[in-house]
Amino acid sequence: MIRNYLKIAWRNIIGGKAYSAINILGLAAGMAVALLIALWVNNEYSYDKFLPGYQQVYQVRRNFNSNGETLTFSSTSLKLADALKANYPEIENVVPTDGNGSHGLLVGDKKLFLDGPRVGSDFLKVFQYPMLQGNAGSALTDAYSIVLTKATAISLFGSTDVINKVVKVDNTFNLKVTGVIDDVPLNSSLQFKYLIPFSLLEQTNPYMKGAHGSFGNNAFNIYVKLKQSVTYAQLSPKIKNMEKGENNVNAKNSEVIMQPMQDWHLYSDYKNGVASAGFIDYVRIFSIIGILVLLIACVNFINLTTARSEKRAREVGIRKAIGSQRKHLIFQFLIESALITFISFLCAVLFVQLALSPFNALTGTSIAIPFNSISFWAIAISCVLLTALFAGSKPAFYLSSFNPVKVLKGTIKVGRSASYSRKVLVVMQFSCSIALIISTVVIYRQIQYAKNRPSGYSISRLLTTSSNADLGKNYSALKNDLLQSGMIESVTMASSPATDIWLHNNIDYWPGKFAGETVEMGTISVSDDYFQTLGMQIQQGRNYSNVASDTQNVVFNQAAITRLRLKNPISQIISYGGGKLRIIGVVKDALMLSPFAKADPTMFLYNTNPQDNLIYRLSPNVNPHQAITKLNQIFAKYNPAYPYTYRFVDDDYNQKFGQEVLIGKLSGIFAGLAIFISCLGLFGLAAYIAEQRTKEIGVRKVLGATVGQLWFLLSKDFVLLVIISCVIASPIALYFLQGWLQKYDYRISVGPGVFIVSAVAAIVITLITISFQAIKAAIANPVKSLRSE
Amino acid sequence: MLSLQHISKYYQVSGLKNYVLNDLSLEVDEGEFISIMGPSGSGKSTLLNVIGMLDDPSDGYHYFAGHAVHQLKEKQRSALYKQYIGFVFQAYHLIDELTVYENIETPLIYQDFKSSERKAMVADILDKFNIVGKKDLFPAQLSGGQQQLVGIARALIAKPKMLLADEPTGNLNSKQGEEIMELFRKLNREDKVTIIQVTHSEKNAEYGTRIINLLDGKIASSKKL
Repeated sequence: MIRNYLKIAWRNIIGGKAYSAINILGLAAGMAVALLIALWVNNEYSYDKFLPGYQQVYQVRRNFNSNGETLTFSSTSLKLADALKANYPEIENVVPTDGNGSHGLLVGDKKLFLDGPRVGSDFLKVFQYPMLQGNAGSALTDAYSIVLTKATAISLFGSTDVINKVVKVDNTFNLKVTGVIDDVPLNSSLQFKYLIPFSLLEQTNPYMKGAHGSFGNNAFNIYVKLKQSVTYAQLSPKIKNMEKGENNVNAKNSEVIMQPMQDWHLYSDYKNGVASAGFIDYVRIFSIIGILVLLIACVNFINLTTARSEKRAREVGIRKAIGSQRKHLIFQFLIESALITFISFLCAVLFVQLALSPFNALTGTSIAIPFNSISFWAIAISCVLLTALFAGSKPAFYLSSFNPVKVLKGTIKVGRSASYSRKVLVVMQFSCSIALIISTVVIYRQIQYAKNRPSGYSISRLLTTSSNADLGKNYSALKNDLLQSGMIESVTMASSPATDIWLHNNIDYWPGKFAGETVEMGTISVSDDYFQTLGMQIQQGRNYSNVASDTQNVVFNQAAITRLRLKNPISQIISYGGGKLRIIGVVKDALMLSPFAKADPTMFLYNTNPQDNLIYRLSPNVNPHQAITKLNQIFAKYNPAYPYTYRFVDDDYNQKFGQEVLIGKLSGIFAGLAIFISCLGLFGLAAYIAEQRTKEIGVRKVLGATVGQLWFLLSKDFVLLVIISCVIASPIALYFLQGWLQKYDYRISVGPGVFIVSAVAAIVITLITISFQAIKAAIANPVKSLRSE
Repeated sequence: MLSLQHISKYYQVSGLKNYVLNDLSLEVDEGEFISIMGPSGSGKSTLLNVIGMLDDPSDGYHYFAGHAVHQLKEKQRSALYKQYIGFVFQAYHLIDELTVYENIETPLIYQDFKSSERKAMVADILDKFNIVGKKDLFPAQLSGGQQQLVGIARALIAKPKMLLADEPTGNLNSKQGEEIMELFRKLNREDKVTIIQVTHSEKNAEYGTRIINLLDGKIASSKKL
């Protein structure tokens, strides 16, 4: 029986080529979108789960009570790490790290400047990356050792067989290679190129001496692995208040919490001390979009099949008259939709395979179709069957309901009776598509709005280079040479790059401080010419005058003055870090963190010591390419052990829009596909309607109707449906977009313009789609259509 | 084998009952070959559809092969129908997408015959109707007479006790029509198939054993031949 059904289904597909092509293409496009999104979602969920035992791995965080508001920090103290290790037998390993930093690696004349953290000796026991060489238990115990990733080992030595070879780090430490691990996959939250023992930092950095002393020294990340039998729920109440006993503003207001590794990637945003948001929001949104696009494609199938039912009605009548029960027919039509869905699925797999490499480039992922995975095929095929059932059941029940006597006599015009529900489905399709168009427009406008926002400093021609011991030592000579070369107009050093603030600190006292009040003040140590180099404007008071006594002074930005509620800030005294500082100037706010948020309250402290970042601006009118060549020579002179690396600040700044731009592009692509699939369905429906009304059109034409009037006649129903869709889509889109925009302090207000533009776009696209059919029907010679009656 | 008692079929049009069949009673014995005649709109086709259980009467009692059809559920009716009745249409009503062979085979599929049995039965009837050479053609490739032959073969494939034919020769020329009628007579005499046909042609009607004339939904006359 199934063979018979498949045969007739196949002959029907071949027989109505155009309709089948529309059906299959539409479904395939919808399934391709759904499949691509499913692969992407799966990739997002796969983060960090490739590590054995990931379920027991946690990162330690602090919920800091800042005047009633809970802020969650990942920076913690070594004292906390020590306490966790000493007092909690539930914890198997505690691993402190200093976060990622860039260091110079030197082997012979090979110089690399790569990211790698300094990590506690148990790191590889907690994070069980596959070891290619060496022993996970002992690789990080000796302070003067280093573990390389495969790629790093090959770049430095040309092979992975490198145990006991020596790498010179930061031109200072000779470290022996004790292990090689496989490259860290892209779906890992921790990204690094090598690992250096934490003990090296402790033995060689004088700052580390006091680092274990207080819960207030929050500059490290701590990872723990719980024992197999222990759950976080059991441990949580015991560790929660462990910092509270110390008499220190930071410690007293901090609660210790932990986040499981499986949540690191998707739940990175803490609100009120709970990780409830983050990338998961986008995963959810795109899952919904994927399902919607698939539904839109299913609607095409439903609409085209029921519209074409006149053709199938006779067959249904005959089959019933020769003994078929309704269930046989339902089964037959379901088989048919399964066949079409399956063909579509094969096309979809092909589409996705073709789309994957641009998609990976766009999203920065390395997704592939897991052709060898049985579970992939099992899930895919169940989804195909589910789609077939969903798309096929309405046509199946509708077609199988025909009364044989009536359809065989031709007394009922089937296909028309379902036109109302078809209209509802078309409205549903277009509502989704239009909502997506509106969203795309709003997201792009929001990005553009933030991009056009004055950033408070000038990012063009500005470069950053990470400093190191050699550069720091030779800074004044370097500065001289750089300025003399004529390639740059200004240079400075700072503790944070121009597009970030690495340190936030509390201010102990300022005039008007409430008792117990704390403040999270961005803190940047700067050297000579900082504000000139970055192009920041002094609003009140004066700039630093580059003399040592300026270390007694402080410059705030406007946001900080507002936060501290200072009416006349100049010459006020604050106390910070045990000393007193006099406010000498206020600079205009600069957007060093998010371009969507308010400027961070920040203080700029004058400091004569070497800082981590060199920031310099190219002279106007120099060719950047030539300038870089020249700068390379100058840097090489003072920094022979490192390659010259630099970053353009405008690139860094634009990266801040990365996620928004990605979301904008994705929603644009999906909106385009949704409208394409919807129009494909409309195209088929228009063809069907034009075919049905051929005689009417012929008669009207003979009676003197113009092509324009006939075009209007055939188009107006569809345009009306699209207008209804706009009316439905607009408030829904508005509701969700308002929610999305709430995330941004600096945001557009959504006016009627967006909706009008989207509606006009949708109507124009609709008209183009259906006009082809409408005009074709309208210009056909009426003699022909009437004669055929 | 068939008994219709006080069968009525009407449509409500703005409150008025518009009768197609009006209090009609009819007894049919096994082995009869009945021709139903009458002007257009007299209810011939409706009567045939009611007998064939494709249409429900509005009132009346309907007994077939010992079953009270008016009390059966759709599923039971369908089972009864499949077992006893074959239908032949004026417009042949073959499925365009299926070959001759597949068209004839389809009713067997619905009656859950095994593949090997189906093969044998279809081969048998193809042979009997002399259309073995046409078995892989599609309906559009056949003449009207050949299509009707296939339609009859399909109606007979499951060996029904009763064959219902709605103007089986209506679309055929007189020679083709004659051949079909000869076939009906042979089926009736040799295979003992009860036949009820609706026809406009006096000549074709006379192949039957009884002629019933319908007028306005009632039996106007009935004569045995």
